[in-house]
Amino acid sequence: MNTAENECVSETLGDYILVRLRGEVDLSWSQQVRRAILDALGAGSKVGVELSQVSYIDSSGIAALVEGFQSARGKSQQFGLVAVSKPVMAVLQLARLDKVFPIFPDAETARAG
Amino acid sequence: MNTSSLAAAGAHERRALGFLAELSQSLALSLDLRETLGLAVTRIADFMQAEAASLFLLDPAGTLECRICVGPVDISGLKLAVGQGVVGRAVAENATQVVLDAATDARVNANVDAETGFVTRSILCAPLSTARGAIGALEVINRRDGGLFDAADAEILRVIAAPAALAIHNAQLAHSLVEQQRIKRELELARKIQKSMLPKRRRGGFPLLGVNLPAHEISGDFYDYFDLPDGRIAFIIGDVSGKGLDAAFLMVRVASLLRWAGKHAPTPAAWLVEANVEMCKTLQDGRFVCAVVGQYDRASRSVTFASAGFPPALLHDGQGFEELLADGPPLGILAEAQYSERRIELGTRALYLFSDGATDVRDTAHNTLGSEGLRTLIARHAVLAPEPRLRALIGDLKRLRLVDDTTLLLLQEPCGTSAHSLLDLEFPARPEQMRQVRAALRTALDSEEIAPELRDKLVLAVDEACTNIIRHAYHGACDQTIALHLAREQDMLVFELRDAAPVVDPSRMQARDLSECRPGGLGVAFIDALMDDWVLVPAEGGKGNLLCMRKRLAATGENE
Repeated sequence: MNTAENECVSETLGDYILVRLRGEVDLSWSQQVRRAILDALGAGSKVGVELSQVSYIDSSGIAALVEGFQSARGKSQQFGLVAVSKPVMAVLQLARLDKVFPIFPDAETARAG
Repeated sequence: MNTSSLAAAGAHERRALGFLAELSQSLALSLDLRETLGLAVTRIADFMQAEAASLFLLDPAGTLECRICVGPVDISGLKLAVGQGVVGRAVAENATQVVLDAATDARVNANVDAETGFVTRSILCAPLSTARGAIGALEVINRRDGGLFDAADAEILRVIAAPAALAIHNAQLAHSLVEQQRIKRELELARKIQKSMLPKRRRGGFPLLGVNLPAHEISGDFYDYFDLPDGRIAFIIGDVSGKGLDAAFLMVRVASLLRWAGKHAPTPAAWLVEANVEMCKTLQDGRFVCAVVGQYDRASRSVTFASAGFPPALLHDGQGFEELLADGPPLGILAEAQYSERRIELGTRALYLFSDGATDVRDTAHNTLGSEGLRTLIARHAVLAPEPRLRALIGDLKRLRLVDDTTLLLLQEPCGTSAHSLLDLEFPARPEQMRQVRAALRTALDSEEIAPELRDKLVLAVDEACTNIIRHAYHGACDQTIALHLAREQDMLVFELRDAAPVVDPSRMQARDLSECRPGGLGVAFIDALMDDWVLVPAEGGKGNLLCMRKRLAATGENE
């Protein structure tokens, strides 16, 4: 997993947009992640960020997630994290954000929620 | 007044104006005021058609002295009190005095005439006025034509006195400035000489480090260390009562006396007893000296010391403090005083000795730091090696306001003998570099068999620290570098990050409260949460910063 290329892909599943992240989210490309999340929130009312293939996330990556969450809440949109990997969960816990974000085990549940 | 006398008055004023312009210019352009004033007073006497003229100046003691005198009788050096005689009154009242008939005027001091045989008939005296009041007076005596001075003459003298007052005042200011600068230069020289008496810092892991910060140019504090014939190291830290020049002079004598006694004294207590007896003979005016003297044996790492009224020593093991009292009276008071000793097995601990100036520093609200405050500062920098730690501590004290001479002496064996280096990396300050750095760090931590959960957290903390350096110290990605050094000393992991950026104010690196949900400022909070302690200090030589973070590993098997 450590060798996975960084990747950020947005998929539209009906009314739901899923931003899939891969690799290590750090300062070198967290701005790109932030843009993708905000763009998704601009395009649809329900957005999820899929994190199962993310092996590392730093504070700038967490900041991008928080910004998406706050933006969605301001416009009564739905925003959640999907399939959070263990390393990402550890950082969310450290930032005391694990109870703040809606977290779903998979995209199906997220779409239904 | 008829037409012709009006015309005469007009001509008189024009003449006065011309004279005033000339006088002002000669005074303004003067390079040697004393000489110019001498000429000026002669010309004033001529212009005023006076038999005699004199110039009196106030000396620093507040006495008027005749500095320049022209006329048949030399009264140079004559001294008057303010308020005494015509001149004294002109100064006291800061107002021109006109004496039409000296024989009957009570203001006139008849003694001078009686002593000199001169007959004073009529006097005019104008004060030399400045913004700070009169600084002296200009006096003319007796019209040469035998007539009496009148109000018009008094007005002219008042006007003529103005440029003289200005020139003298400026010269006095210039002189006091020169004097101040001379004193400043001499104090600076005294400071350098005094500083040269402190022992040179020894390299190569010498266990004693000292710093002396004078509150002003010179200090009544001192420290010293030297080798004893048996291989032990002797040390001294002292504080002479009082501040300023006399304390500084006494410090020089006391320092050499203590050094001399320390060369042959068998024990610190005997050392103080001998120095005390000597000082009781020589110290005067209620002066006394507080000091600690000690002997340190590097082989056994044991230190013995005795104190004469000096603040208690602090022993710090990296976790907590122990206050060490070894109290006896200050030196120079009681010739029969005895001193008790403390013996400490120092081990890897740090012993801090400090003069009371270190705890008397004030913050902006004038609160003193106190012993608790000093402990907090020491604890904050405990992460650092002795030398940068002392530097950081001094930096903190300097940011506060020193009110007294401050001296610190630190005794600690340099750590690092049991430390082994796990990773040394230097990389450009660019976010794209971080992935490789994290990988290298994971590998290094894996080799120490750090549990993966803890390993990932330490990697996160170091990553956050590096990106903070890139963003806030270098203000963005650049080709300057960050050096990462990881070492392990027993159960302690020490992470050091060095950059070459301008010095960062450590107070700007503040963790935010994790309970608030917002995007920024998380990095420092992560470092705070993940490391046991960390400190940011200017690097050696004042260029760049050193961030040092520590994590103590729990016993094997329970790394978290």
